[in-house]
Amino acid sequence: MNSDLVLRFGAGTKIFAVSLFAIVLSLIVFGIFVAVSGVNPLDVYDLMYMGAFGSWFSWQNTLLRSAPLLLTALCTALPAQMGMVIIGGEGAFVLGGLAAAAAGLLLSDMNAPALIVQGVMVIAGMCAGGAIIASAGALRHWRGVNETISSLLLSYICIAVLNQMVEGPMRDPTSLNKPSTRALPDWAMLGNIPGMDIHVGLIFGLLFCIVAYVLMFHTTFGFAARMVGGNVRAARMAGLPVGRLVLVVTFLGGAAAGLGGMIEVAAVQGRANATIASGYGLTGILVAFLARQNPLIVIPVAILLGGIDASGGLLQRRLDMPDASVVVLQGIIFVILLASESVQGRLNIMGWLPRIKPRTSAVAAANGAD
Amino acid sequence: MTSALVHEPVPPQKAVKLEVVDMGKSFGGIAALASVSLRVEAGSVHALLGENGAGKSTLVKCIMGFYTPDTGAVMVNDKEVETDNPRQAHMLGIGMVYQHFTLVPSMTVLENLVMGRSHVPAFIDWKKERAELSAFVDSMPFSVPLDLPVASLAAGEKQKAEILKQLYLNARFLILDEPTSVLTPQEADEILGLVRDMAHAGEITVLIITHKFREVLAYADEVSVLRRGRYVGGGKVADLTVDAMAKMMIGERDIAPAATRTERAPGAICLQVRGLTADDENGDAAVNGVDLDVAAGEIVGIAGVSGNGQSELVEVLAGQRPPTGGAITVQGDAYHATRAEMLRHKLALLPEEPLHNACVGRMSVAENMAFRNFDQPPFSKGVWLSKSRMRAEARGLIERYRVKTSSPDAPIATLSGGNVQRAVLARELGGQVDVLVAANPVFGLDFAAVADIHGQIVEARNRGAAVLLVSEDLDELLELSDRILVMFDGKIVYETPIEHADRTNIGRSMAGH
Amino acid sequence: MDETSIGWWGVPLAIFAGAIRISTPFLFVSLGEMVTEKSGRINLGLEGTLIMGAMSGYGIAYFTGSPWLGVLVAGLVGIAFGILHAGICSLPKVNDIAVGIALMLFGTGLAFYLGKPLVQPQAPNLPSINFGWWSDLPQVQSALKINALFIIGVVLAPVFLWALGNTRWGLILRIVGDSSDAARAMGYSPLAVRLAATAFGGFMAGVGGSFLSLYYPGSWNEGLSSGQGITAVALVIFARWNPMNCLWASLLFGGASALGPALQSVGVTQGYYLFNAAPYVLTLLILVLSSSSHRHIAGAPGELSVTR
Repeated sequence: MNSDLVLRFGAGTKIFAVSLFAIVLSLIVFGIFVAVSGVNPLDVYDLMYMGAFGSWFSWQNTLLRSAPLLLTALCTALPAQMGMVIIGGEGAFVLGGLAAAAAGLLLSDMNAPALIVQGVMVIAGMCAGGAIIASAGALRHWRGVNETISSLLLSYICIAVLNQMVEGPMRDPTSLNKPSTRALPDWAMLGNIPGMDIHVGLIFGLLFCIVAYVLMFHTTFGFAARMVGGNVRAARMAGLPVGRLVLVVTFLGGAAAGLGGMIEVAAVQGRANATIASGYGLTGILVAFLARQNPLIVIPVAILLGGIDASGGLLQRRLDMPDASVVVLQGIIFVILLASESVQGRLNIMGWLPRIKPRTSAVAAANGAD
Repeated sequence: MTSALVHEPVPPQKAVKLEVVDMGKSFGGIAALASVSLRVEAGSVHALLGENGAGKSTLVKCIMGFYTPDTGAVMVNDKEVETDNPRQAHMLGIGMVYQHFTLVPSMTVLENLVMGRSHVPAFIDWKKERAELSAFVDSMPFSVPLDLPVASLAAGEKQKAEILKQLYLNARFLILDEPTSVLTPQEADEILGLVRDMAHAGEITVLIITHKFREVLAYADEVSVLRRGRYVGGGKVADLTVDAMAKMMIGERDIAPAATRTERAPGAICLQVRGLTADDENGDAAVNGVDLDVAAGEIVGIAGVSGNGQSELVEVLAGQRPPTGGAITVQGDAYHATRAEMLRHKLALLPEEPLHNACVGRMSVAENMAFRNFDQPPFSKGVWLSKSRMRAEARGLIERYRVKTSSPDAPIATLSGGNVQRAVLARELGGQVDVLVAANPVFGLDFAAVADIHGQIVEARNRGAAVLLVSEDLDELLELSDRILVMFDGKIVYETPIEHADRTNIGRSMAGH
Repeated sequence: MDETSIGWWGVPLAIFAGAIRISTPFLFVSLGEMVTEKSGRINLGLEGTLIMGAMSGYGIAYFTGSPWLGVLVAGLVGIAFGILHAGICSLPKVNDIAVGIALMLFGTGLAFYLGKPLVQPQAPNLPSINFGWWSDLPQVQSALKINALFIIGVVLAPVFLWALGNTRWGLILRIVGDSSDAARAMGYSPLAVRLAATAFGGFMAGVGGSFLSLYYPGSWNEGLSSGQGITAVALVIFARWNPMNCLWASLLFGGASALGPALQSVGVTQGYYLFNAAPYVLTLLILVLSSSSHRHIAGAPGELSVTR
């Protein structure tokens, strides 16, 4: 029994240790990088901590930036459980926001009750995002098109559609400098969590992650999906409906990102314009990989990356470092993480896990088999 | 290859003598080879016999320079030599024809042969190369088309191309690793006969790795037997009997008596295939209209050389490949390989290469064993998985089927090949089985696992299952089947009940005659 | 320049000129990626390499006054990224698609970070050769001003095709990409060959990127490339890993991308963004047409993960 427990939790511990190692190493490399650029790395670390977790204000900033990441990360993490690498979260996010804005404006013009408006916006955002990513899944399953490339292409197309609609048919004539749709009325927008300056979108994000985790790891549906992800030939041999599973899971992933877009429109911006394509989709990819595609681990990772993002503003103001510095750090983390994953197999985690001896069954031992 | 000076006389006998002295090699504390010594006389055909896992492969890889042995030496013509990498082995004239083909599929035979040389010019003059190679091939007792891409050659031609490549590279000592596993009996005879003649003419020395007694008796001059990494016996083939060799291979273990089929009349037709067609991975027709019936309580074996559509046929039955036409009926109902149908008709599958086809490597043994019933009570309550139930059931199956694993939670990829197959067997045959489709179920496994798995298959048949057994090993089919069919070019071309089964006729059909 | 004097003829002329201009980076990146994929590895990080090439080429050209030096340095930066990609992929159990995405993010971020001071200053541009000296019309003359890199690319394509079938290096590349087992049996190291091939692919991508900043559009800013790197990868699949097809496909893409600006130049401004999305739609379409779920893509290197 002892070795069973070790096997079940030892693997998780190894993954955690390696991720931690990757982050620490990345921070060191980033420190060297900024030092070469003439900035004191210790100042940077200090400001990053302050900007991310130093005060209740910075915590709220961090959580605000984590909220969309929770959702866009699922756009990569959920299909990844099925063996697909989808990087189109930005497009689903953007399309979801656009669809939500359209629905929201339509219904609020008709003076529908606030809850209805918000409910329809949620559905519109999720359906738009879901449809886009599900198309990538469908193309992969029925036409063998590589989903990484197709999801990225679809993402660019969605951004083009956003720009086209926002500057064209949906444009608010009074928005001259920065083309954008009309604003949603205040009563139709999502409110804040009582007692905080954070919108309820954070709760949506947390719930989605938890539900996604439970779905993938504790239900028969999730088991079937993971079988497909592990070996599609074995899944087919077991008679699983692979096409249906692909469509549902990619739709869910896209719906998560689409919901993120809806929240960006309905809780943060109040309208749809080019600003909603601000890179949450891309950062979401990194969150998913860092979290090893596990929806539950996405939560702490999103908060960490939200914190890094939040500190970017402080770094820019106090140390005059360009916006792109946090992107550089993210890139370093990603690269080091991938490199350290391969080391994972070789480390016996410093020897503090007991060696597991093969245990033969009693019957075999009695038969004298080798 | 260092060329001899023009003035030196060319030795009349090109074949070399090779000797291995006291060779040992361990991997992670386990000895794959221990104190193996062996001598192969120049111009002879020497068989290296042993079951899977006995160390034959390790021995030749040490000779070839893929591994560096821990102890021991290799001597060519009584002089000690170093083989630290395959290049050095090639320069000494040692060449090997592997079990899986090492020709580049998308390139032609000509390109493969030229690129296999150790010295390739920076800019290649194809006219010159083609002329040289054509002349070389003409001087050989067999030939292969030079300008066809290797991927389009049949298995027998690929094998000949591999041998040709080694001869072109001036191999004087040729190692053949299970050379006939992908050939028809006639092709096997042709190739083994050819190399034997070349050896006896003094041009090459041949070391054949095999586990087939028939080939040893027919073609080898001497034999060495390995068991568990040690040399346990050998000598001139003329002086040994099959029983003696078998005893050396297997040792003192009692071989479980071959599973016996009980006398029974076949029952109702359980599996019926009519006019089935399917394409292969390249879009070419692989299954070209297959008709077959399998009745309850009988084992129908399908023989055939790999590449004639058998894999595709099994994949269609397993739901891994869509058919392009035809119909499959199981127990009277149309069959489309859905989960519900497999459950209803108690259909079990033992595909070849279980880790690749029937398991998810990173999932645990328990999870893999639950593939058929994870969505049924008691392993699930509605949509909720019950992992503890899965684990408990797995423990039972592990015990019953003697699967060697450290724990039900170990990833199944960590198990040895035989145990992976045992685990799949446990999952598929654990309950009642009405229809069983098996493909090459014991390929690459040791004797104990082979006996185990064959026993289970026969037992299923005795209990009334309709069994379709597809195999590239004719011996396996002859031992287990009630009826044998032969598949060639995507169609069933020959059928015989086991009482009238004749190896020659079957072999001819396998080659399409 | 009185553009309306030739009316709607301006459109095909603009498309022709645009096709050549816009196809040049596609041509270089796709030829480079073709070499990488022939060795059995896919490099999705070329977008990052491209942008790094654009930035570094621009910077060097600005500081030294020589655009060709900028191109060279861009190529060297591309080699560095290629080596980084190959280095990480050579570790066991690393997925080359994930590495590509990581380098795409890293390269893009790094380029924007380092390139901040380069947004304003103007660096010297690459030269072009005037093939339109025979015409009086300024539009024809400007359309037939073909840049030097394009000409180099057009020469490289058939050279690559010949090299793949007739040189030792070309054949080794194909062997490694088709079957690692066969390569090892012949004594070649798949990892070493893929390292060289990926570094070369990076060089070409870097050069392609430098074209963007040193010729067309000819300046450095954060919106310089949007997806050319990834489109080039799709292009290679469409071209079935054949260098001449890469040339034709790049021209096709260039033409599709030039459609938007060409229509704009004659006053058609509706649907600007949708026209600019034309290359992505085209890429998606050809990917759908080139792929199939049940069969191998004909001509695919056996070891390439994206087609297995």
